[in-house]
Amino acid sequence: MTMLGYQNNVLRINLKEKKASTEPLRMDFARKYIGSKGLAIRYMYEELDPGIDALGEDNKLFLTTGPLTGTPVPCSGKLSVAAKSPATGTMNDCSIGGHAGIKIKFAGYDMIIFEGISEEPCYVVIEDDKVKFLDAADLWGRGSHEAEAVLAEQYGTDYSIMSIGPAGEKLSNMACINSDYYRQAGRGGIGAVMGSKKMKAILIKGTKGVKVADIEKTTDRILEILHDDVLQEDNTFVYDAGTTAFLEACGDGGIVPYKNFSGANDPEWEKYNGDVLMQYREGKRGCGSCGLGCGNFLKIGNAVCEGPEYETIAVAGPNAGITDPEHIVKFNEVCDNMGLDTISAGDTIVWAMEMTEKGLHDFGIRFGEADKMIEMVELMARQEGVGADLCKGVKYCSEKYGGTDFAMQVKGLEFPQYEPRGSWGMSLAYAVSDRGACHMRAYAPNVEVFAAAVPPYTSEGKGQMVYELGEFNAVKFSLCICDFWGTITYDIMAEMLTMITGEKWTAEEMGEVGRRVLNIGRAFNQREGFNRANDTIPKRLVREALGGEGPAAGQKIPQEAFEDMLDQYYEVMGWNKDGTMPEELIRSIL
Amino acid sequence: MKVTITLRGTLRKYFGEDKERVYDVPEGCTCDEALKIAGLDYKKIKNFGFVSINNKRVMIYDKLQEGDLLKAFSKVSGG
Repeated sequence: MTMLGYQNNVLRINLKEKKASTEPLRMDFARKYIGSKGLAIRYMYEELDPGIDALGEDNKLFLTTGPLTGTPVPCSGKLSVAAKSPATGTMNDCSIGGHAGIKIKFAGYDMIIFEGISEEPCYVVIEDDKVKFLDAADLWGRGSHEAEAVLAEQYGTDYSIMSIGPAGEKLSNMACINSDYYRQAGRGGIGAVMGSKKMKAILIKGTKGVKVADIEKTTDRILEILHDDVLQEDNTFVYDAGTTAFLEACGDGGIVPYKNFSGANDPEWEKYNGDVLMQYREGKRGCGSCGLGCGNFLKIGNAVCEGPEYETIAVAGPNAGITDPEHIVKFNEVCDNMGLDTISAGDTIVWAMEMTEKGLHDFGIRFGEADKMIEMVELMARQEGVGADLCKGVKYCSEKYGGTDFAMQVKGLEFPQYEPRGSWGMSLAYAVSDRGACHMRAYAPNVEVFAAAVPPYTSEGKGQMVYELGEFNAVKFSLCICDFWGTITYDIMAEMLTMITGEKWTAEEMGEVGRRVLNIGRAFNQREGFNRANDTIPKRLVREALGGEGPAAGQKIPQEAFEDMLDQYYEVMGWNKDGTMPEELIRSIL
Repeated sequence: MKVTITLRGTLRKYFGEDKERVYDVPEGCTCDEALKIAGLDYKKIKNFGFVSINNKRVMIYDKLQEGDLLKAFSKVSGG
């Protein structure tokens, strides 16, 4: 069975043996999981035995596109980068922008699977049917941006590049993968998996096309959708301001964390708000097939980065007790170059700040110390001094040094920058997310905070709400559609998928795929031993009233309210009370 | 009573060049009612998000007081 839109081809690369082979894509998987996120998790479930070492030779790195990748469908340029996570022990899939996904598709593949471990540091060059393994000795130890610059100079700009920094080489739990200088597959130590394979970089170039069912009809209809739906104000704010726009909205919503989530809302937030940051914008860039172009390049003093996105602003600014916009950009720049996820690196540093302030352990850094925060990033990336422990994240460090109550993580993944006491559904979303605390699984503030008439401080109805948000994102990311196309519907998804593949897809099926994706992620984790006992939130959220002057000040999430939300969610999912999945449910999704 | 209204995000266009405007509204006026006086019906604005009073998110039917700053935000999505 084959299907248009797909290349019906998987490239499997064994780094130990320096061999590449191709095989047909499992279309039985594709029909159930479509592509990208869902397809990657289904392959992981099939190919990764339970209990394997995430940094060992049995883990694999999956780069997965979808049937819309490489077509003119707007905002379809995302790529799933997936593996078992060394940070959490769960499955982990990251969605990365840029152009790598489209290059993979144009090279003739739906998916690339990296297996084994190279004996020496290497980089891999893929150009259509040719795969080359090259010595990376001269690149090893260099920053990600520096390595990319060397490779771009040597190979030219026709190649898309994915690379790791020193953090990935040294197998940090918070190492990310960079792409094309500016995008990151950030979370869960995905860069450490690449580093464990001793693969510094991947270069991809493709000259093939993608066959679709009806190109004329597809092109006409896509232009209509682009005009009538994508380029509407609900979405175009990301061109104007990107996620810097979130700072004021989240601030008035009471969910911008302050000093390691001890409070919310920095009274000095206007020093680094979106309007201030945008004054320093020097360039813009969009991903392949994008109609929105959210990428902003900022330069303040000697600091340059793409972004900073809301997450980075919040963690390097108010959550660290720092108000200097140049520091925020510098933190972003250094994290990217060192190959560290800004969220996890930032959260771990602000936790260390609180540990020092409270006299529980002296990490040599306190709130407000901007220069030390930048130095700490370097120490963590190179695993020197206190950075040798901090690079392992707040779960590991709090279990070693204390401070677990305010170690803001779930399953070993540090919190994104949305304070759950101001958005109770977010606590549930973090708890049940298949890779630990992630805001991209079910973005509760969209309903609880950014809507005019939905109450945020209650457990009522939150199980269903988080399920619906999660189902929607699960299928959206399985189509490789960017999160910023906020107005897309199941009807539009099904219509586009039908046009591209030539097979009938319905809106109802989109929901079914989303539910299946949520379940296969859970099934993977269940096989690794995860259950309700792991669907927890930090005690700070339950025991401490939220500080600060924001609208959610004084809020905390009673344990019984949290347990109520969990019960609701499990019931909606058809899971057992202990968070496990019935065997017949697992069989039904395979 | 007088309240100040400011529009954020893509709602800014409804006030043209004005960053904010001051309106006379009745005692006990809700956010929804004040916005209508300013010419905005939130139910008819597709990308309307939420409102805050004095930088604190409130419900659309919450009441204003003399001198309040009412902010209306357009939707944001993604993360």
